[in-house]
Amino acid sequence: MRAFIEFKDVSFSYDVEDAQPVPVLQHFDLAIAQGDFVAILGHNGSGKSTVAKLCNGIEIPQSGDVTVNGMNTKEEENLLEIRRHVGMVFQNPDNQIVATIVEDDVAFGPENLGVEPAEIRRRVDQALRDVGMYDLRFSEPHKLSGGQKQRVAIAGVIAMQPACIVLDEPTAMLDPRGRKDVMKTVQMLNRDFGITVLYITHFMEEAAKANRVVVMDKGRILLDGTPREVFQHDDALRAAGLEVPQATELSLLLKRDGVPLSGSILTIEELSRQLEELLS
Amino acid sequence: MLSDITIGQYYKAQSVVHRMDARMKLILTVLFIVIIFLCKNFFSLAVMFVLTAVSILVSRVPFRMFFKSLKPIIPIILITAALNIFYVKKGTELLSFWKISVTTGGLSTAFFMAVRIICLIMVSSLLTYTTVPTQLTDAIERLLSPLNVLHISVHTLAMMMTLALRFIPTLIEEIERITNAQKARGADFESGRFLERVKAMIPVLIPLFVSAFRRAYELSFAMTCRCYHGGEGRTRMKQMKLSAVDFAALGVFLLSLAGVIVLNRFFQAMI
Repeated sequence: MRAFIEFKDVSFSYDVEDAQPVPVLQHFDLAIAQGDFVAILGHNGSGKSTVAKLCNGIEIPQSGDVTVNGMNTKEEENLLEIRRHVGMVFQNPDNQIVATIVEDDVAFGPENLGVEPAEIRRRVDQALRDVGMYDLRFSEPHKLSGGQKQRVAIAGVIAMQPACIVLDEPTAMLDPRGRKDVMKTVQMLNRDFGITVLYITHFMEEAAKANRVVVMDKGRILLDGTPREVFQHDDALRAAGLEVPQATELSLLLKRDGVPLSGSILTIEELSRQLEELLS
Repeated sequence: MLSDITIGQYYKAQSVVHRMDARMKLILTVLFIVIIFLCKNFFSLAVMFVLTAVSILVSRVPFRMFFKSLKPIIPIILITAALNIFYVKKGTELLSFWKISVTTGGLSTAFFMAVRIICLIMVSSLLTYTTVPTQLTDAIERLLSPLNVLHISVHTLAMMMTLALRFIPTLIEEIERITNAQKARGADFESGRFLERVKAMIPVLIPLFVSAFRRAYELSFAMTCRCYHGGEGRTRMKQMKLSAVDFAALGVFLLSLAGVIVLNRFFQAMI
């Protein structure tokens, strides 16, 4: 599969007034394949949110290149097209909803793109059905729960018919239920619509649902692989200030104590199945 | 709880007035204000009173809602009425003591003014009861669009109004949260004199401002990400379309205008 978003030797630092610029990324390379579901894991300050902002030209690297579908984010005239292709969902749902009615908010993106009114109507209805918010289309956003608001934000992005969605800790402010709903929606978009997903999080259980996990620490890539591969390196993850999913952690501890568990274990179901077999 | 606040004072109902084009409603409200100031006697005022009553009935907004919006205005109505009663000296004298005298002319002028103010308030609240705030800002944007020629960015102004409306409930929630946080730290908002209580609000206002700026920053990011680049080349999902109802309403209002002009001519002016 070809790369949809590509970081080539990217260095980025934030300017701080009256002080040395703070380097966030140094000689960073990453390629996101089209249709993939990639989770970026990292502790606070690991540079993972910066990666998100570089994806659609909100931030421009000081050196190196970020290309989206072959378009460089450095070129001003590409930006609108890039932002149409790469939708973005942020952490705080309140600060990304623009309109006072759900369906008007979903329409905001297509309206900016100058889509025909009838076509906007169709896309808005479809997007709201896709995220399961169609029944609440006339509601006022501030009366919705966090998970519902975040799904409205996702609908607003998919109404622009992007090829890729970047989600920057979309569930950090949500309760467990809202977290589950958002994750389910994102998985559906990836599976059914083939939308490339870049999911930035610090929740292990969410990262475990991705096809590929990239672990970042201090602006570098620490680990990169399938969730099963990555979570075997529990020591490296802990050193980066991250936890391993509980089932994986327990299985690794048991293995070290000589319990003959096979393969790498990711979910509670897998672990309990193996333990059951061993005990019977 | 503050979470059930509604933005503006839209009253949800199914009626012809609710379905009307916001632009037409805005124009008709302005027209109404102009006509009611043209009224010179009770006959022409009666026309406008009937027009107000009919509009309210057709809108299916319950009368208590109008009473609610009238309530804060009652002192103003009473003061104007009182001033008219004591200052206008026309017709026969009814009462007189010391330097004050009440005349029939004073009484009728007071009544005339009161009815005029009440009609004004009712019709302008009818506009806000039957129109969603965003539709109103949209209507303003479209009606003022000729100003673009003068390089006034009407779209930007309308967007600012929409965003302000959108963030009112969010900021109210924020105030509630900060107030509670400060109370938990022992802040006292309820006791003390006025000045002390105003001072006690400072620890609420500063975090509120900081957070409002942070929100604005994040919102501008989010809007940029959703391809917002000003009003140029922007389309709208909800098209505003004038329908037969709008023209019928315009017809009724224009007829009332004609009626008022005719009645002003045929009967003696009292103001």
